[in-house]
Amino acid sequence: MKRVSVLFISVLILLGMLAGCSGSAGGPQEESSGDSSAQKGKVTLNFWTFWGSETRRPVIEKIINDFNKSQDDIYVKHTFLPFGDIWTKNLAAISAGNPPDVIINDINSVQHRAKNNQSTNLSEYIKDDSFKGNFYPRLWDTVLYKNDPYAVPFNTDTRLLFYNKKAFKEAGLDPNKPPKTWDELEAYAKKLDKKSGDRYERIGFYPLWGSFGPPSWLMNADNGKGFLSKDNEVQINTPEKLEGLKWLKSWNDRIGQENVNAFKAEFGSEQSNPFIAGKVGMWVDVATFYTQIRDFGKDMDFGVAPMPAKTADAKHWSDGGGFVAEIPKGAKHPKESFEFIKYLTGEQAQTYWASKNFDNVANKKASEDALSKLSGNDKMVYKEAVDNLQVTTMNPVPADAPDYQNKINPLIDAVLLGKEKPENALKKAQSKVEQSLKK
Amino acid sequence: METAYESAKKRKQAAQKDIAEPVKKYRIKSLRKREELSGFLFISPWLIGFVALTLGPLLFSLYVSFTNYNITSKMDFVGTQNYHNMFFNDGLFWTSLWNTLYFVAFSVPLTTAGAILLAVLLNQKIPGIKVFRTIYYLPAVLSGVAVYLLWMQLLSPSTGLVNTALSWFGIKGPAWLFDPEWTKPALIVMKMWSVGGGMLLYLASLQGVSKAMYEAADIDGASAFRKFFHITLPMITPVIFFDIVTSLIGGFQIFQEAYVMTENGDGGPVNSLLFYNLHMWNKAFEVFDMGYASAMAWFLFVIVLVLTVINLKFGKHWVHYGGGDEK
Repeated sequence: MKRVSVLFISVLILLGMLAGCSGSAGGPQEESSGDSSAQKGKVTLNFWTFWGSETRRPVIEKIINDFNKSQDDIYVKHTFLPFGDIWTKNLAAISAGNPPDVIINDINSVQHRAKNNQSTNLSEYIKDDSFKGNFYPRLWDTVLYKNDPYAVPFNTDTRLLFYNKKAFKEAGLDPNKPPKTWDELEAYAKKLDKKSGDRYERIGFYPLWGSFGPPSWLMNADNGKGFLSKDNEVQINTPEKLEGLKWLKSWNDRIGQENVNAFKAEFGSEQSNPFIAGKVGMWVDVATFYTQIRDFGKDMDFGVAPMPAKTADAKHWSDGGGFVAEIPKGAKHPKESFEFIKYLTGEQAQTYWASKNFDNVANKKASEDALSKLSGNDKMVYKEAVDNLQVTTMNPVPADAPDYQNKINPLIDAVLLGKEKPENALKKAQSKVEQSLKK
Repeated sequence: METAYESAKKRKQAAQKDIAEPVKKYRIKSLRKREELSGFLFISPWLIGFVALTLGPLLFSLYVSFTNYNITSKMDFVGTQNYHNMFFNDGLFWTSLWNTLYFVAFSVPLTTAGAILLAVLLNQKIPGIKVFRTIYYLPAVLSGVAVYLLWMQLLSPSTGLVNTALSWFGIKGPAWLFDPEWTKPALIVMKMWSVGGGMLLYLASLQGVSKAMYEAADIDGASAFRKFFHITLPMITPVIFFDIVTSLIGGFQIFQEAYVMTENGDGGPVNSLLFYNLHMWNKAFEVFDMGYASAMAWFLFVIVLVLTVINLKFGKHWVHYGGGDEK
């Protein structure tokens, strides 16, 4: 009797523990979009995205529903995972042999994942040579590893210069003539500065706020050349980049590191974005920053322009990121998964996505079609963003030195803080990155 | 002369003994076995959890540290390559180690001393002391990320409460999280804020110090200062020892603070907040170099192990265990 009860309790504890495990392991919240009875006899695909916001979720779920209704063989189930979790969960799922069928992943690290065998080579499923012609060539380049595609571009973004027209008028500047060159940018910025005593009430412009960091500015300075060429040639220590870095430092010197820090520390939530609050006159950000201006900066009079170029005859180089649809390694139904990816990156779905989110989509035709569905400011910003793709470079993570930027950033930080000479910093960065690529 | 009855009784007893003996033995054995079995069954949840979730992965990571494991495709034995790269080819490894040692070297003594001081202050018998105890303990129960975000505001260079308070005394506060010279001190200051957890331990042990000793000291005319250093401190050394050992280990594990409080979790200005574990995390999950990250983890383990052993060795000389086996 006693033994039986001991056994019984032990088994109960064990069961409880197992149940506890399985309960907590069921991490992601699964939400089926559509009628579950419609799944019978179909291949069910698990689709992971991080689009759970009020604005994006309904859009992606409508696209999924449309796909589910459009054919009888495949049923796609959408699973939302928070941005901070999705890729580490994917990694764990791949190594456990139970990955999602399709996932939205970062566009700049496709090669890195391909090299590490985390994604499926799609060349087998892309029978049609014209398929790649649907997408902007620069985006398509990012998904190739050893000339085979490992993902399909979904959306992208590009940096633009937003400027406050009201502040322009106040400073005696023509609100319809945004700065075209670095010199103009600086001259305008000085005019837009507003000081009371030693304190800035408004800073006209500071290049490193918003989303155009030192690597982007140095690329802009060096005629669109990033730190690494396509063949992993290190091009950090160039005369143009040196000039660019000195120029960035000159902003710190003029405005004062303290003022820069003080302003920056107060950039908190979206509602208090300093550009929208009128504390900064010009601001570099992705095109979708416009939705923040629209939602939080009621009736703000703003304009949008391409990035200023280093000189009058240089191009207005900008840079971009974005996301791809990918089939993780070991997914069970790659053929069906690719069918879904084809739909996701097809004209209809992409046009819908673009017109709802003002997001640059990867599909060229859709990108242009969406324009006709927009009007007013929506159209102005979206058109500027689409045009800007011509001068937008991508910055793929090199598969051989995925963390090469960690070697450069601290040196650039040191220059900006006045702790290192620009010449020395670039020289050191050049040799450090060369070394790490040799390994 | 043995009667028939007696001999019969003896035989019976002998027979009984013969039978009874093995039966009894068998029973004892099976009882022990059964107890063993149910013992194991009772601890089986822990046992399974330990072997499957701790010991297994631990040994796995030791092996992995000698391979080029990248989680998804490679796992070739590369000997001590990872360790070699760590010591000779990765400058950031040394940066991260230095940052971590700096943090540990300052935060452990400061938080320990802070906790003791606070506990002594809160050990006074004055009305309303419970309220103060609660107030000082509160920060210890607040959860991590929210606290870090709060401190980012407090440490804001121009409008933050810390610099505003300093300005009342005519001190111009530093840019804290933006100035590489001040980032680590900023984190140490933040850690000081939550000494309430350690304070609670000290408070409990302070109240366990026998009053007789203080009375004896009073009779001998000892000052408050002497009483503190010759009675209070020695009597709470076991707790100080425990606190130092655990906070040393915890100090080496610092990760979240830097991950949350620096832009993109990349280690702050000029890598001044690139702590050991942050670097390791980046190597494992950004670069997928799990072999290297495991090697780093094992090296950290060795550092912590050595320090703890030293601690235990030296502990004998200054930790006073009241009563029992003193050496």
